Amino acid sequence: MSEEGPDIHDSEPAHFFEQVHSFEFWFEAVEGYLHGLDHGHRRETPEAELPAAERERLITVLCNYCVGETAALDGASGLVQIAPNRATKIFLSTQTVDEGRHLEVLVHRLRELGVADPELEIASRATPALLEFKRRLLGLVRERDWLAALFAQNVILEAMEFTVFQAHARSADPRTREVLLGIVKDERRHMGFGENELGRRLAAEPGAAQRLAAIRRELDPLVFGSFSDTLKRIGGRREEGIDLAEHYRAAVARLGFT
Amino acid sequence: MSAGDPLRETDAGDGERPRQRFVLDDRGFDEVPPRYRRFYRRWQGSLDSLAPNEALCPVCKIVVRSTRELRPGDRLYCMACMSRLEVVSGADGRLEALVVY
Repeated sequence: MSEEGPDIHDSEPAHFFEQVHSFEFWFEAVEGYLHGLDHGHRRETPEAELPAAERERLITVLCNYCVGETAALDGASGLVQIAPNRATKIFLSTQTVDEGRHLEVLVHRLRELGVADPELEIASRATPALLEFKRRLLGLVRERDWLAALFAQNVILEAMEFTVFQAHARSADPRTREVLLGIVKDERRHMGFGENELGRRLAAEPGAAQRLAAIRRELDPLVFGSFSDTLKRIGGRREEGIDLAEHYRAAVARLGFT
Repeated sequence: MSAGDPLRETDAGDGERPRQRFVLDDRGFDEVPPRYRRFYRRWQGSLDSLAPNEALCPVCKIVVRSTRELRPGDRLYCMACMSRLEVVSGADGRLEALVVY
């Protein structure tokens, strides 16, 4: 089946930039993969019978995903206020909606697994390192440090979530797998937005790379530690080819700082 | 993995071998609006290969497809991660895409 029409690659860069940052584009994109789902999975997808220990591990992992998604929700909504132009404000408004959806479907998944009070469970199972990362991220937003906050959220956090959620989806029960793959589709936009916006800013302000490298050294261990722990819980091992920092390291290398 | 049916060859007009043209089919990539889906497909892993009109987005690893055979200097857009790309000749002589900020 083929469809003739305008070739997207013939568009002018300014037109492409405006189009992909728009709410209109976001709506048409997410409708393609969210339409008909019930809290991120198909209604008919069966609930797997998990052994008690495996269910416990999954609940702990999902609780920490909720912490990460809450950080991303608070971060994205705060970034709207300090974004440098209308296109980035509009994109971040779509990211804020995405992050709110992620949190909602993950909390719903916890309830499906029998967690009676997800708020309490998240608070009791959260990894201290991830909570500290959240505190640091929101501090950068409060300081109105656009470059550093965007780097922390849309490069460090989003790239690692992208890798871990994909890895987890490969071995997850069917419902969790569908929820995670839906989130990954959103993360692709968030990660790309972060890298491209930072790349443009660094080209205009090359001195900022050194400052971001210092922030990276502070924040890396917090996120790495937390997601490494998650990978162990879901059974991802180095010999299985899961490299937590694969996308992250490649993005930082493209941006030109280490 | 083929990239769609080669449609015709167009004369580059500069003495170069004419470029193949391709009719793109929808490969089910659902992360962009329906009218743009034919320009993208998922990378299928180590057994997959790129056709002459395809490049791998270095940012998000989605295969970006063009209606034309690619040549160094061509511009591509990855709508899945909002990246502008440029086709270059890699160290091994194969074409690859670099992100242009």
